[in-house]
Amino acid sequence: MQDRYAYYPGCLASLSQKELDSSTRAVCAKLGVELVELESMTCCGAGDIHEAKPDYYLHLNARILGQAEALGIPTILTICNVCTLNLRQANKKLQQDGDELARVNENLAEVGAATYSGGVDVRHLLWEVSEGDGYERFKEIAVRSLEGLKVAPFYGCQILRPSKLLGFENPDQPQSLERLIEACGAEAIDYPAKVKCCGFPIVLAREDVALGMTVQPLEQARDAGADVIVTPCPLCHLSLDAWQQKAEKVAGRALNVPILHLAQLLGAAAGIREDELKFKRHVVRLSREVQDKLLRPEGAAVAGD
Amino acid sequence: MEVTLKIRRSPDGASHTTETYTVDVAETATLLDALDAVKDKRDGTLAYRKSCRMAVCGSCGMRMDGGAVLACKTAMKPLVEQGHVPVISPMGNLPVIKDLVVDMEPFWAKIRAVKPFLQTEEHPDKEHLVEMPVQNANIGKEALCIMCGCCVSECNSMESDPDFLGPAALAKAQRFVGDQRESDDDRRARLKDLNGAHGIWECTRCYFCNQRCPKGVDPRDAIAKLGAQSFRFGSGSEFGAKTNMFAPVGTIVEPGVAHAQVFVDSTHRGGFLDETQLVPKTIGPLAAALDVPFALRLARAGKVPNPLHKHKAKNNDEVKRLWKLLERQAREHDQLGTNHPSLIDSHD
Repeated sequence: MQDRYAYYPGCLASLSQKELDSSTRAVCAKLGVELVELESMTCCGAGDIHEAKPDYYLHLNARILGQAEALGIPTILTICNVCTLNLRQANKKLQQDGDELARVNENLAEVGAATYSGGVDVRHLLWEVSEGDGYERFKEIAVRSLEGLKVAPFYGCQILRPSKLLGFENPDQPQSLERLIEACGAEAIDYPAKVKCCGFPIVLAREDVALGMTVQPLEQARDAGADVIVTPCPLCHLSLDAWQQKAEKVAGRALNVPILHLAQLLGAAAGIREDELKFKRHVVRLSREVQDKLLRPEGAAVAGD
Repeated sequence: MEVTLKIRRSPDGASHTTETYTVDVAETATLLDALDAVKDKRDGTLAYRKSCRMAVCGSCGMRMDGGAVLACKTAMKPLVEQGHVPVISPMGNLPVIKDLVVDMEPFWAKIRAVKPFLQTEEHPDKEHLVEMPVQNANIGKEALCIMCGCCVSECNSMESDPDFLGPAALAKAQRFVGDQRESDDDRRARLKDLNGAHGIWECTRCYFCNQRCPKGVDPRDAIAKLGAQSFRFGSGSEFGAKTNMFAPVGTIVEPGVAHAQVFVDSTHRGGFLDETQLVPKTIGPLAAALDVPFALRLARAGKVPNPLHKHKAKNNDEVKRLWKLLERQAREHDQLGTNHPSLIDSHD
């Protein structure tokens, strides 16, 4: 883990999923990591612009990468699966194809934007804290044990696949979330749908088809006894949280599984207060019992917390 | 070397049991070699497909530990060294006939549905059609498909909607949509069909297809190319509307197209996705209004941004200028969707 990152929260954490942004900032402060704002950042284009206007997508991402380079910071920190894949995909194309990089830079220069030479890496928060120095740093700040909490990891798609663009871990048997759940003192629950799609990309255009996907991790995690699901992606979070009531109709039964952002789980273990983690900004509310496990009374916190 | 396999046995495709077999094979053995050994020496009733043994014919697609592979391309030695006993089962999303043999008919029906052949009869210059390498750079990967079904096996959208055309048929479609020897009229007709109910906008971008494909076809990337060309040729917006906000009564813009259009518009207008526009413009204001309870649940959790205070990026004039510049370039060159540099595959 580095001490300084160019921070790219993306659209959702800047808008409807603000609790992810505040939790990330609080966790990074505890880890001793400085998050430098990318002041003129925009949307990465998601799969949508990538699909509709691929050339515009490539330029949007080159402009974001160029901003990090202009700050002299070699690594962008992301907190969303979709942003991670899109930035990395554009980055790979620009790094591999000198003619394309030159063409894109010519256009960026023409509109007065920072150009890009290809020297920036894009890393998700999950990757930075689940191994090596980042993992050691996290274990040091994880002062509040979440013992007794059963957490179902939900990876989603675009942090695992395609592995030739992401490549952090085995896409069929990932372990990074499990490692972190255990470092929090909680118990990781295993279930097959943890690496499948939440349905979010098509939930508006094809709601029925999407809900057939959304319901799978929710039902499986519930049946495996999970208290909560944790995910590194705010789109998966929105799908599993906001669409859960509709997924319950597909399942034909109540599910009531609260969904946590990864940074909220890490933050709870680091003793960060509820007003920064903002669990109340979820559609599926935490039960009193789960809340007690996540946010133990002040007296239970380690001194100095 | 000794290999142990757990194989899902199903005499009739309906019920199944899991049987364990141990066989002696050469150190270079593939999964197919191991299955041959099981069939020759342990149980002659084991059913699986095979032919070329060299990852060309596409017959031996099956699942190993839940992920689709070509049996003839999967080495056993690394698993033996780990002491791992893999579970071998038939591919997903296709009916099982017996043991590891699936019924490929639904797969072929979808391939047939995308007209997997060149249509040049109506081309004005049909006697002199030549495809130069530089012209087919954006269909090179799609042309590698051996139609094994590995991509279809784990397609998450197809699990939810069995009628979804799916990654193999859509990659095949791109192989012809991107072919310079077809006319724009043919291309437009193909794209209109592919923008239908079970077409390209039903792909959920789970990327299982790219992950599983044993030939590097990257079907998801092919679907993205079809989306870009749909935008170029105006599929889904034949009536002038680009989203469902002001679509003429009785018409509907393909919701997937409208959804992507909101992303495009909101970035060059404000830099970020305009979440408040996404629902009404994708599904139409009436459908959005009928879903008020859903919107209220989100509002109660503070998840509905204030539409009057839009979150705008700093220096977004740059993006606005960039958007205009790129649109002008696309019009001038009129090549986006065929062999524009941004549609040509990266080298892996």
